[in-house]
Amino acid sequence: MTLPASPAWLLELEAAFGRMLRQPLSRATGALRAETGAYPPELLAQAKPGPGLSGAERLAVYHRQYWFRLFTLLQGAFPLTARLVGFWRFNQLVSDFLVAHPPRGWNIDQASDGFADFLGETLPDTELELEPARGPLPRAALLEAARIDAAYHDVFCAPLVTPYAPAQGDAARLAQGRLRLSPAVALLTESWPLCELRRRAVGAQSTEASLVLGPRLAERRSWLLGRDGVRLGLLALEPREARLLELLTRHPVAAALARLEAEYSGSGLETERQQLPELVQSWLARSVRLGVWAGLEVES
Amino acid sequence: MLDYLEIISENFLGEAAPPRYHLDRIKERYPLVLHGVGLNILGPTPPEPSYLDRVAWLADYVNAPFVSDHLCWTGAHGYSHHDLLPMPYVPELVELAAERAALVQRHVGRPFGLENLSSYVEFERSSLSEWEFYAGVVERSGCHYMLDVNNIYVSSQNHGFSPEKYLAAVDFSRVLQVHIAGHSRDPNGTIVDTHDQPVALAVWQLYGAAMRRAPRPTLLEWDDRIPPLSEVLTELAKAKDYSA
Repeated sequence: MTLPASPAWLLELEAAFGRMLRQPLSRATGALRAETGAYPPELLAQAKPGPGLSGAERLAVYHRQYWFRLFTLLQGAFPLTARLVGFWRFNQLVSDFLVAHPPRGWNIDQASDGFADFLGETLPDTELELEPARGPLPRAALLEAARIDAAYHDVFCAPLVTPYAPAQGDAARLAQGRLRLSPAVALLTESWPLCELRRRAVGAQSTEASLVLGPRLAERRSWLLGRDGVRLGLLALEPREARLLELLTRHPVAAALARLEAEYSGSGLETERQQLPELVQSWLARSVRLGVWAGLEVES
Repeated sequence: MLDYLEIISENFLGEAAPPRYHLDRIKERYPLVLHGVGLNILGPTPPEPSYLDRVAWLADYVNAPFVSDHLCWTGAHGYSHHDLLPMPYVPELVELAAERAALVQRHVGRPFGLENLSSYVEFERSSLSEWEFYAGVVERSGCHYMLDVNNIYVSSQNHGFSPEKYLAAVDFSRVLQVHIAGHSRDPNGTIVDTHDQPVALAVWQLYGAAMRRAPRPTLLEWDDRIPPLSEVLTELAKAKDYSA
């Protein structure tokens, strides 16, 4: 049996209500406010005044709820990013994102999907000027922080996946095969001590305590983020392991190894190059034990 | 001390493993009922079969005796607003909501309850009271009330109607469950359903009147600024006192 769609007048009312909700809150007064002046006239005509409040003021309750619910959601999903820039500036970034990418599904956890990419696409290529107490923030640090937060969110939300366990015959197929990274695993890289800062930010979840970025690291660091049961944990990777993992996620195994060896050839790192076969063997075995892979795909 | 628990359906409809892990632990110890926030029964089109399939699967998974959601809309025209939004109370929408609610009940294969909203705005187009609208949908659909006593009180204060009159219109033989919760007052005077503090005395009194009509399973909603469990249990114990 096919049920009818809603009547045209309800479709129009809901469209106007949605437009009202999605208007960004005003920041002009230094606080987030619902400006009712731009509410759709057809919606205002329907909203009844009640005890002590106009129809527009009543609609504003929903308008504020829409935005504060989503601000809170993204502050929770991006705790490091939010505390690095402060909630006032973070909410502005979220507002810009949600105007461009409003939520579209029943799963509110997906409302933050794409936020890190959005920042990468839209933030100007300059330092971020924050409130005086915080000082400017390098754009690269903010983007790294957002990617780390997004990785935590994605790994947490990943489904239960049976880790790849090599079957008989896989050894022969491994070279041409491509290992598929488990969705419950992510490779994190940082140029500032962001993972440690994130740990502190989450520990202070209920406050807006600002975080000091600190100096840039002498060398980039890499971590393997993984989920063990319901807990997320980090494992430090040495640079060659991280590079190998990165290549393995992009190329068939043999091609990844060839690229890694080529990167070390003629680089003055001959000792390291000679150690690569052993490193690869041990890392592949270790990564399988750690549940890094979800499968081996071989093109027929 | 706890007879049963209620879960927000949408928190467990996705594929994320940690929520499922916690659900498995909880369902071993407590009976569970499902309460949705994303059905969108008065959205532009009838509820999506794929969404209902997930709810039905979850209800089977936890062996829920019934499921519930809200008599409202939550999104339109491809957008999801993640809020429980009001609509005009007109006979045309009684019919529409009832047809869709009946569809939901058939799809999930168990009793389906609709919850009344806390609302902050009314519409000029309305020709029915909220309780007439609500009763009409329940009666015509063959579904049930998921009666939120706090919401009755909140809406009554925001719109200036008698909560007792609302309660008197409810057919308690069709009430699956009752919700109670705390609310807050916005600076502009609006009372908002926040679930973040103890139940107000006026709501307890309304709840007592409801229970004198017919005792029903009662759920205390406290899902923001959650205090120590002992405080929640103390609050819950009051429900037993008021329903005695």
